[in-house]
Amino acid sequence: MLLPQNLLAICMGGLWGIIAGALPGISTSMGVVLLLPFTYSMSPITAFTMLVSAYCGGITGGSITAVLFGIPGEPSAVPTVMEGYSLAKKGHAAHALWVFILASAIGGIFSVFVMMAATPVIANFALRFGPPEYFALTLLGLSVVSGLSGGSVLKGMISCLFGIFLATIGTDGITGSERFTFGTTILLGGINFVTAMVGLLAVSEVFIEEEQPFKEVKGSAEYKGLRQELPKFSEYKENWAILTKSSIIGTIVGALPGAGATIASFLAYGEAARSSKHPERFGNGAIDGLMATESSNNASTGGSMTTLLALGIPGSNTTAMLVAAFMIHGLQPGPLLLTQRPDIIYGIFVAMLLTNIFLVALSVIGVRLFLQLNRLPYSVFSAVIMILCVIGAFGLSNSVDDLYVMFAFGVIGYGMRKFGFPIAPAVLGLVLGDLAELSLRRSLLLSLGNPLILVSRPLSAILLFFAALSILYPLFKKPSVLKDVEM
Amino acid sequence: MRRGSLLRTFLTEGAFMKKGEIIANFVIVLFFIFLFICSFQLRQVKRFGEVGSGFWPMLTLALAILLSLIMLLSNLIKYNREKKQTGSVEPTSAEAKVEIKNLRKKIALSMVFLLFYIIIMPWIGFILATFLYILGFILLLGERRKLVLILSPVLATALIVIIFAKFIAIPVPKGVGIFAALSRLVY
Repeated sequence: MLLPQNLLAICMGGLWGIIAGALPGISTSMGVVLLLPFTYSMSPITAFTMLVSAYCGGITGGSITAVLFGIPGEPSAVPTVMEGYSLAKKGHAAHALWVFILASAIGGIFSVFVMMAATPVIANFALRFGPPEYFALTLLGLSVVSGLSGGSVLKGMISCLFGIFLATIGTDGITGSERFTFGTTILLGGINFVTAMVGLLAVSEVFIEEEQPFKEVKGSAEYKGLRQELPKFSEYKENWAILTKSSIIGTIVGALPGAGATIASFLAYGEAARSSKHPERFGNGAIDGLMATESSNNASTGGSMTTLLALGIPGSNTTAMLVAAFMIHGLQPGPLLLTQRPDIIYGIFVAMLLTNIFLVALSVIGVRLFLQLNRLPYSVFSAVIMILCVIGAFGLSNSVDDLYVMFAFGVIGYGMRKFGFPIAPAVLGLVLGDLAELSLRRSLLLSLGNPLILVSRPLSAILLFFAALSILYPLFKKPSVLKDVEM
Repeated sequence: MRRGSLLRTFLTEGAFMKKGEIIANFVIVLFFIFLFICSFQLRQVKRFGEVGSGFWPMLTLALAILLSLIMLLSNLIKYNREKKQTGSVEPTSAEAKVEIKNLRKKIALSMVFLLFYIIIMPWIGFILATFLYILGFILLLGERRKLVLILSPVLATALIVIIFAKFIAIPVPKGVGIFAALSRLVY
């Protein structure tokens, strides 16, 4: 395992993953897919090492641009924008970056240990999740993001419902009928969430930035480098509870098929806000929120891999690509793999461990790389971002139609921001809407129309309770803030 | 007392009210109502024992209508209250108004420009379109330094084409006619 070619694979895969994850137009799964052809000729262990490190790198990379430029490279980095970018705007970019690098590493390493120890246990737990639990889980994710996106809870919920509505556009999964396509062919396949995300987040961000008077160089020009603010260990000690909790949340959510880094990061973020001693800091640079979301989204990689290796079921989009990789090398992920080829399984475990450790160094390199972009004249920088968005949206389906969709969402996103509607809930609504609806309809099918099935099963009842809490809690907390202002 | 403060929170949240926001709220309510009516037709589409295609859209849209109505109401209340308090609603100076107008023009123009880029790309190919876009966009943003204006479009387009069109081989549009021939020379 410690052969030089494997170590090289980790570095190259990881760096590539970071870059792919960071660029808003290229998602982690696309990055892994692009890497696949290069791995055909490698030995299985080296191939998987490279792909797995690209996966972990991708999740980490999405946060680099999130902190530095306010544009998340991945949907899982949206909470990172809310906290990390705010910190960067105040001049503490180095601090935010260190937090994210180290928290990610901690989360990732934690999940690998869990992965190694508890593969059968987690797989078992994931199997207990039926449609009602999935519905409750998605509802929890949606409520958390609506309640906590900063600003009005009401607008958060409306934004979220808008996203959920967008998810219904296209062909209904169960009945096959067309919904809200208004006779066009563009919308038949539904709205691809990457296209919409690129438009809502990245394109609209460029439009918003245009409101600033013309700048010669990009804003965080005062930022000299990571050495500006070294990490303080006391911070990690006092936040150890959040780090542990978020890593656990991330690992478990990652293990669930269909739920990945995105839900993991939002749930951990919500939990951090709920249990934080300084909830009012959230949205303005709360360190514990940043730690929570970062450790959680990296922890989800371990969880996803667990389900993949133990059950053969991919835990997320990107792990689905890894299934393809397995098949290309003539292997079948699943329970048999453990007995037939334990060397591959253990090889992957070690690869992930090393990757997460290496990622600290690789992230530093990644940050340095992206910092160079700061030197660009600001106008060129904006233009290039736009073009990257266009390429990203186009690259998914090779159709110019998607570009129009992206444009429309860029305009919509701009409008939303101007009127104070948070974008994150809409993105999550779009991402989770399908899963939520299908889970609800399947649950009702199971219970023959009885909605009580959602609360009669203990697991879903607990999740729904937390979902309700996430919406109501910010409302009850607010009066104390108001009191200070009015008196 | 609890419920009262909850209501108060809902109603007094947020900052200053502008007329534009009220209009936007109104449009949002209408938007959701329109979609809700559209989803009526979907109610019939279902398999046996199933809730049907219309169930979920109607549920979420109904909730959306409710929430946006609440928002509209609370905004109206806030607006009226502020009107009574200050007499008029946020007078803006003349120069601020001109600045805002120019800003809006700039942003609108950049949106149109982006749309234009997307429209002509299939015709003149990715390279030329990107080059023109970069040039136009940085001019629009206010860049005047000659060196930047000349170098950036060339360098940026070259870099992007090399990395994305050649290295990763994303099949970006080639254009038609002579543009296609030109594009094929490069990728």
